[in-house]
Amino acid sequence: MALLETQGLTKRFGGLTATDDVDLAIEEGERVSVIGPNGAGKTTLINQITRLLDPSEGDIVFKNESILQTEPHEVVQRGISKSFQTASIFPELTVEENAEIAALGAEHGSFRLNFFRHRNRYGGVSEATRRTLEAVSLWEQRDMEASALPYGDKRRLEIGIALASEPDLLLMDEPTAGMSPEETNATVSLIDEVQEDLGLTLVLIEHDMEIVFDFSDRIVVLNRGRVIAEGTPGEIQDDPDVQEAYLGGVEL
Amino acid sequence: MSDESANPADRTETATTVDTADAADTTETEADGGETLGGASSASTVASLQARWESARDRELTVIGLTIVGVSLFPYLFARAPVVSDLLQGYQELASLMLVWGIFAIGFDILLGRTGLLSFGHAALWGTGAYAAGWASANITTFPLLLVAIGVVTAVFLSVVLGWLSLRRGGIYFAILTLAFAQMIYYMASAPLAFITGGDNGLTGVEIGSLLGVFDLGTELPSVAGTLLGTWRYAFIGAFLVLSVTAIYRILNSPYGIVFQAIRENEQRAEFVGFNVWRYKLAAFVLSGTFAGLAGALFTIHGQYVPLSSLYWQTSGEVVIMTVLGGVGSLLGPLFGAGIYLWVEYIVSGGYPFDWIAPYWLLVLGLVFVTVVVLFPEGIWGLVGDLRDRVATRLEER
Amino acid sequence: MSLLTETARVLLNGLQTGAIYVLLAMGLSIILGTLKFVNFAHGALYLLGLYAGILISQQTDFSQGQLAEYGLSTLGLDWGFLAALLLVPLIVFVLGIAMERFVARPFYDRPDTDQILFTFGLAIVVQQVVRILFGGNSQNFAQPGWAAGPVALPLVGGFPQWRLWVIGITAVLVMIVYGLIEFTDFGLVVRAGTQDAEMVQLLGIRITRPYIAVFGIGAALAGVAGVVGGPLSVVNPTVGTDILVPAFITVVIGGLGSVRGAVVGGLLLGITESFLIQWSLVIPSLGIDYGFAPWSQVGIYAIAAIILLVRPQGLFGSEVDVS
Repeated sequence: MALLETQGLTKRFGGLTATDDVDLAIEEGERVSVIGPNGAGKTTLINQITRLLDPSEGDIVFKNESILQTEPHEVVQRGISKSFQTASIFPELTVEENAEIAALGAEHGSFRLNFFRHRNRYGGVSEATRRTLEAVSLWEQRDMEASALPYGDKRRLEIGIALASEPDLLLMDEPTAGMSPEETNATVSLIDEVQEDLGLTLVLIEHDMEIVFDFSDRIVVLNRGRVIAEGTPGEIQDDPDVQEAYLGGVEL
Repeated sequence: MSDESANPADRTETATTVDTADAADTTETEADGGETLGGASSASTVASLQARWESARDRELTVIGLTIVGVSLFPYLFARAPVVSDLLQGYQELASLMLVWGIFAIGFDILLGRTGLLSFGHAALWGTGAYAAGWASANITTFPLLLVAIGVVTAVFLSVVLGWLSLRRGGIYFAILTLAFAQMIYYMASAPLAFITGGDNGLTGVEIGSLLGVFDLGTELPSVAGTLLGTWRYAFIGAFLVLSVTAIYRILNSPYGIVFQAIRENEQRAEFVGFNVWRYKLAAFVLSGTFAGLAGALFTIHGQYVPLSSLYWQTSGEVVIMTVLGGVGSLLGPLFGAGIYLWVEYIVSGGYPFDWIAPYWLLVLGLVFVTVVVLFPEGIWGLVGDLRDRVATRLEER
Repeated sequence: MSLLTETARVLLNGLQTGAIYVLLAMGLSIILGTLKFVNFAHGALYLLGLYAGILISQQTDFSQGQLAEYGLSTLGLDWGFLAALLLVPLIVFVLGIAMERFVARPFYDRPDTDQILFTFGLAIVVQQVVRILFGGNSQNFAQPGWAAGPVALPLVGGFPQWRLWVIGITAVLVMIVYGLIEFTDFGLVVRAGTQDAEMVQLLGIRITRPYIAVFGIGAALAGVAGVVGGPLSVVNPTVGTDILVPAFITVVIGGLGSVRGAVVGGLLLGITESFLIQWSLVIPSLGIDYGFAPWSQVGIYAIAAIILLVRPQGLFGSEVDVS
């Protein structure tokens, strides 16, 4: 059984169908990229999986359980984490606190009455904080205020926050958007490293075709909310439908 | 990359550099997360001395100790000490009142300063605490401690309901909804429930019994305590202030503290690292409501009277002004805000030697408030902190 | 009084009370919906409109002034009030533009909380300035002579004429605003901004002319509300903050940015209020005779609470949250 499955996932906004009967199956340890032209429904798909949006029809099954009735924070508890397109960090806190919050959220996010207990008593959290920051090479900068980091570092912190909850499945929404070529390379190798170390399952939304074809085990192509093709990078590259619909007939 | 045992001296060094580079912003973060500084170094530079002092300051016992000292000296300085008290024109009962509002304001800051939620409905919680205590004294008991307990419990109950309703919608709605539901309670108290609240007249002649059945709150404390603190009433209120500061310090250093900050900084992200943001917001609301209720009950014990206006939204506005004036997001800033506000309201507005400005006291407060919002978002407490940092930098340069 | 008469009275009174809410809420709502600016100083604009109205209507006594030289005074009209009705919206419109420029604009990129704090502080300052200039005591804003006194209406009987004028003027203004929103660039911006705030923010067109007009028109409506609402009750410097709360409630009930919502919400509140004032529960057999007048203010908040529970986005609000 796949780690994550969407079954006939459909989301309508008024007259517009943003995702149309999408069936996906993501296996454990896989790297899957979702591509498609603007407005193809990629972000809507992700937003349904993270439970930010309610699907109009269909089901989402994670670890053999439907997550349709869960809140976004519960989805995180179950092991799905998301990194944002922009550096969505806690700007006025230190780098360390950023990671600490994320680690705390994964372990203790589901609200308890522990408001008289000192934070230092949560040993596991500081362990996870350190591991995370070392993984994204920000341990040295841990005492800096997050807003003072250069943009590339902020994006790495963003990825770190997503990792700190030690997810089974990581959804990445254009992790290299707005980055310089050097930063892009660094980020891709970071993702690469982390994926292998932690045995993550990765779903990537990306516009940069080079990254997509290098990186993915499998590619899913969305167009107007429908899956029009699915397969290995090689298969997708040769698929005439994809070239027609998505790439406008241009050779890759 | 992972230079494992980065020595503590280095760490402290880094922290201090950041601190001075961007003083205004980091001071607060450090005040809360001070523990990250770890043990102070043995290096004998001024910088490390300052760091050591800061980490010491942040220790719970220090905070409590300083609060106790401050609370003990304050009424003497304000009302009885030569020169100072003449300058300030202070008097004993106003000192007590300042502490009462101070508790209200530091509790309010859990919501405004830490969680980033602006409530315009806390009058409802304060007023309900006050009315509950007042009503209980006429119908149940006159023991001050029990009155406080009744006020707090009632306010907590109400804050769960109010918070639950007002948090149904996010963002800008919150201020409006808290305001609206608080006004609803005001209007209920003003007419339909006048048989309980006394309507426009409020609850007059509230009887307050003696503490533990022994000490009359109105009488003076024995010997030195009498000189310093003045009355039992002040000591009673002062004890609750110390208790409140301790409790809030604890809360801010618990997981709640950092979750509240995370919500203020980036609510969506907080949800997506796994926090039940809505519940934590409600928790912040109820916690601040608890202190509002406590302060309200103490207000009744202090004045033996509950005016209807304690529920009106101007009261909510007052605690907002006090908190912002003193400094949002700082543990003790709002306490100072409360003191300053009341000093202006009671002393400056009263005439001599402030005749020239007395009629304009609220205008002045309004202008100062607006200035603080625009130019000094960290309030007076933040300004003081800045000043201290600047002095420290000077010393360092030498 | 027959049931029919009573109902007609409740409705008319409700329309009149609601009209003031509508005028304030329309402005608040379009400013909130398009500019995402929470204006706690909107009541201050009402207050300024009100006192400007008093000044103009008292001191610009056209009927004894210059117009008299042309023989117009013989018409016996209170031109002063008419002048106020025309001039005040212009003055407050300009104030609104200034407010957009100097109050709102510096805060667009700061947190909502800062906007609210700042406008709240501003409201206090304005209130205090008015108190210092005009005194803190209550005074009367005289109704214009041509609209004073009751008028006989079918069914209802005698009804204060000015209240009818309030309803009429509001109706005309509602139609004008509705027309603006449906048929002009200004309206396009309002509609677009309300429906897709994110897109508008991305395009960064908040500081273009239609946006400034949103603020000006919203302010002018508050100013008119001050002039027409002033003569309905005693006037003092706190009326601005007092009326702000029901105006906000109206916006919440109607839905953010919706003019239709503001109108329906305002009237709903007005009618609820006047109904509760009039209504008493009488069951002679049980000896019950309970008047609900004390609940009239509570009622409008209770309605807000119920609507919020059933339909959190308001009657005409879109589903998208603007948090």
